[in-house]
Amino acid sequence: MTNGARPRGVIERAFGFVIAASCLAPFAAASNPEWDALFSSPDSSARRTATIADLSKVTSGADAHRAAPPAGAKGSARVLAIRARKALGVGELGDTCIDDAIVIVRDGKIEAIGPARTTPIPAGAEVVDCGARWIAPGFVDLHCHIAAGSLGDINDTVYMTNPELHASSTVEPNNPSLRLAVAGGVTSVLFIPGSGSNMGGQGVLLKTGLDHYEEMVIRDPGSLKLAQAGNPERWAIGVGRSHMNWNTRNTFERGLAYAHAWQEFEKGAGPRPERNIQWDIFRPLLAKTTQVSTHTQRYQVVLATLTMVKVGFGLDVYIDHGEWFGSKLAAYAQSIGVKAIVGPREIDAPSGILDTDGHVLGIAASYQQNGHKSIGFNTDAPVVPEEELPLQAAVSVRYGFDDAHMDSLRGLTIVPAQTAGIAQRVGSLAAGKDADILVTGGDPVDPRSSVDIVFIEGRRVYDSSRETRRW
Amino acid sequence: MVRTTTITWRGARFAFQAGLLAATAIATFALSRAATAIEPAMLAAGDSKAAPSMDELFKEAKAKLPEATKPMIVAGEKGGPGLAIKTRKALTVPLQGEQYIDNAVVIVKDGKIEAIGPARTTPIPAWYEVVDVGDQWIMPGMIDLHSHVGGTFDINEMVYLTNPGLRVSSSVIPHNDALKTTVASGVTTILFIPGSGVNVGGQGILFKIGLDHFEDALVRDPGSMKLAQAGNPESWTVGIGRSFMNWNTHAMFERGMLYAQLWENFEKGKGPRPERNFDLDIFRALLSKKTQISTHTQIYQVVMTTLTMVRKEFGIDVYIDHGEMAGYKLAGFAKELGVNAIIGPRVIEVPTRQFINWTGSNPEAILGIAAEYQKRGMTMIGFNTDAPVIPPEELFLQAGMAARYGFEYANLETVRGLTIVPAVTAGIANRVGSLEVGKDADIVVMTGDPADARSHVEKVLINGKHVYDTSKDRRRF
Repeated sequence: MTNGARPRGVIERAFGFVIAASCLAPFAAASNPEWDALFSSPDSSARRTATIADLSKVTSGADAHRAAPPAGAKGSARVLAIRARKALGVGELGDTCIDDAIVIVRDGKIEAIGPARTTPIPAGAEVVDCGARWIAPGFVDLHCHIAAGSLGDINDTVYMTNPELHASSTVEPNNPSLRLAVAGGVTSVLFIPGSGSNMGGQGVLLKTGLDHYEEMVIRDPGSLKLAQAGNPERWAIGVGRSHMNWNTRNTFERGLAYAHAWQEFEKGAGPRPERNIQWDIFRPLLAKTTQVSTHTQRYQVVLATLTMVKVGFGLDVYIDHGEWFGSKLAAYAQSIGVKAIVGPREIDAPSGILDTDGHVLGIAASYQQNGHKSIGFNTDAPVVPEEELPLQAAVSVRYGFDDAHMDSLRGLTIVPAQTAGIAQRVGSLAAGKDADILVTGGDPVDPRSSVDIVFIEGRRVYDSSRETRRW
Repeated sequence: MVRTTTITWRGARFAFQAGLLAATAIATFALSRAATAIEPAMLAAGDSKAAPSMDELFKEAKAKLPEATKPMIVAGEKGGPGLAIKTRKALTVPLQGEQYIDNAVVIVKDGKIEAIGPARTTPIPAWYEVVDVGDQWIMPGMIDLHSHVGGTFDINEMVYLTNPGLRVSSSVIPHNDALKTTVASGVTTILFIPGSGVNVGGQGILFKIGLDHFEDALVRDPGSMKLAQAGNPESWTVGIGRSFMNWNTHAMFERGMLYAQLWENFEKGKGPRPERNFDLDIFRALLSKKTQISTHTQIYQVVMTTLTMVRKEFGIDVYIDHGEMAGYKLAGFAKELGVNAIIGPRVIEVPTRQFINWTGSNPEAILGIAAEYQKRGMTMIGFNTDAPVIPPEELFLQAGMAARYGFEYANLETVRGLTIVPAVTAGIANRVGSLEVGKDADIVVMTGDPADARSHVEKVLINGKHVYDTSKDRRRF
């Protein structure tokens, strides 16, 4: 085993060096007009996006060595048709289902979906007949810490607020945890820093089962991670909720002032501000091209999420890591358009910390009963293993979450997709969306069903009939 | 001013205490007088006939209680009026025949099932109380044949490497906290057994959970003799391996069965009276098949020994318990010998290098253990938890996971593996394990299929008594 690993490591390192050298080459030459333009641009996120684009150019040079893309995948001329006994999570809102369904996949996207009798299969298409099995959209988890090689990489607590750190710098594609995630049906994740400080840094929205970072990225920055209480107290002795709130508010105030100054400058209404890369994330936050994801569990901090972040600063935010009695604010959250993603705890059990008056309460059910209509589920992996995301929904149903309208599946797919602002690409089986499709033995929320095949962007990234079953 | 108040207060307190003392003294005196009066009468009675037993005294006292203070006997319970439960679906799971009834009625009287059938053909006597559970389903209480949470945890005594004389019945706490959650998950009967620190840990006990009194809860004692051939007993001392453990176990069985045989001969008048040996008494129950052996038998080789040594050589009633790892390769042989398989706590076999040397098992893929037994023709497959290894309330999830990993359940095999299969295996199917006429009314009311984790338990009846009801109690699980 170890003998085999050594040469592979060497090759990887050598390959990494080639990529690094290719990336650094423009710096060395310093005569590339495109790069000059980029570096003179004040917008760091534009530069980072361009860097990623450039990186993909470098790696696409190696495409010649890769096998031709399979039918349905990006870049393939061939079309893929998937036929299944039942398709769940169909339509823009993922709220319908189709018996005996056919999905046509072209160039990584869903071209069409409908009943077999009315959905013709284009000539020359590769047909995957799933027989009695069902299909569903890939699951989306908005609270994930396992895309890095090591957990130690994503909980840097240099300051108490670290809005400048990027989780994207630690991604390790297809690591063992991600391989399990895929086998559990999780195809998209928001990979975020830990909650050791009030702001851990910037998360990144990723596809799970792909080999290359540039293919994986859905959005970077995916979010700014905010953790108002629960862990950041440990940052130093003497820190309590009031100080943490003051410090966080202070960071927001300064960051948004910085972003406003840039906005004024770009409109020609003010002087060019000095660049401060610590505050750059607040520019996409102000422009609403990214959002705040919150580790917000207790009543008081959920309240701060709603009053301070949403109403006070007007940022796009949602309740993430939703737990405990935050559900008492469900109606208020619903009224101001703040969605609720519940987990890793799915129940309030009688304990020393919480006074539930002896009752076991389902948290998703509490949000629902209090009037919330957009409820999703997260794992906080590895707190709950990433592959057990569907079990979070099943447990919620067990504890009273009304599933009469497929809300358990919707909470794993379209609700988090809408919450993260990526529903145009993922979250349901609809024409134009990415072909992220699960083939399952039955209802994917039922723990008795197995995930047999996973497609991500039309590519078969997991197939338990062809490889060892992972989960 | 303050001082005066204090003094006054002290004075008042003194007066009160003095009064209290006086009252106590008077009461004590009166009582002692009364006792003296009663005593000679009792002694005299004792002379003429045997003193009444505790039980008789208790009954007498109960009879004298005013009507209002007697515990109310609820419909369905022993001595109470009849109870009829109407349900959308009853998973009756008898050993053979139809496994469920739609729109069913089950009629309970005196803690037993008096009748069960479709609503249109099952008349409810007019004076019976009717409970309509609507869309909810009912099923028999679940049975876990491998549990260590029946009371105190001092059940892994390792004085010798084989301890057939030990009894866990001395550790039972009938309604302990772990069991309160367990009963809320629909489990009603457990085999509480000693740990596997030695090859023979002692005698297990079959009892119902959710009941307050040991004498009501008891199903069978000894429930089994616990055998653990490998996996933990190695750590008993330095230098012992599988061969020694097998020899030691084998020797103990030889001695025990010989002892039992001598007693049988004596009882038939064919031999002298053997010397009593407490340590080996359990073998008399084993020889006469009044009890059986439950085995912590997981690895191929020890499942093999279970079949060849315990079942074939000694002819003892035994089943595969704690079924795991590559033991499934013997499923065909086990079926041939009538040895049932109870699977768990591991319900899957994972490709890992960790166990190769120890178990010889080296699967290429994740295998569902129940599914592998099933593929090889085994039909009597049940599930256990080895609680607290798997929490006792997650028994149903063992069946759910088996289904996820390929266990076919088109004929309700998941439900059967939680109910009738362990009941038959433990030899208690005359009382529990299915909803059939004459059996104990151990009934679980659920929102759907028990092996589906999305369903939850609403009510549990044991011997017709409501022991858990989410409409009255707080939900515990």
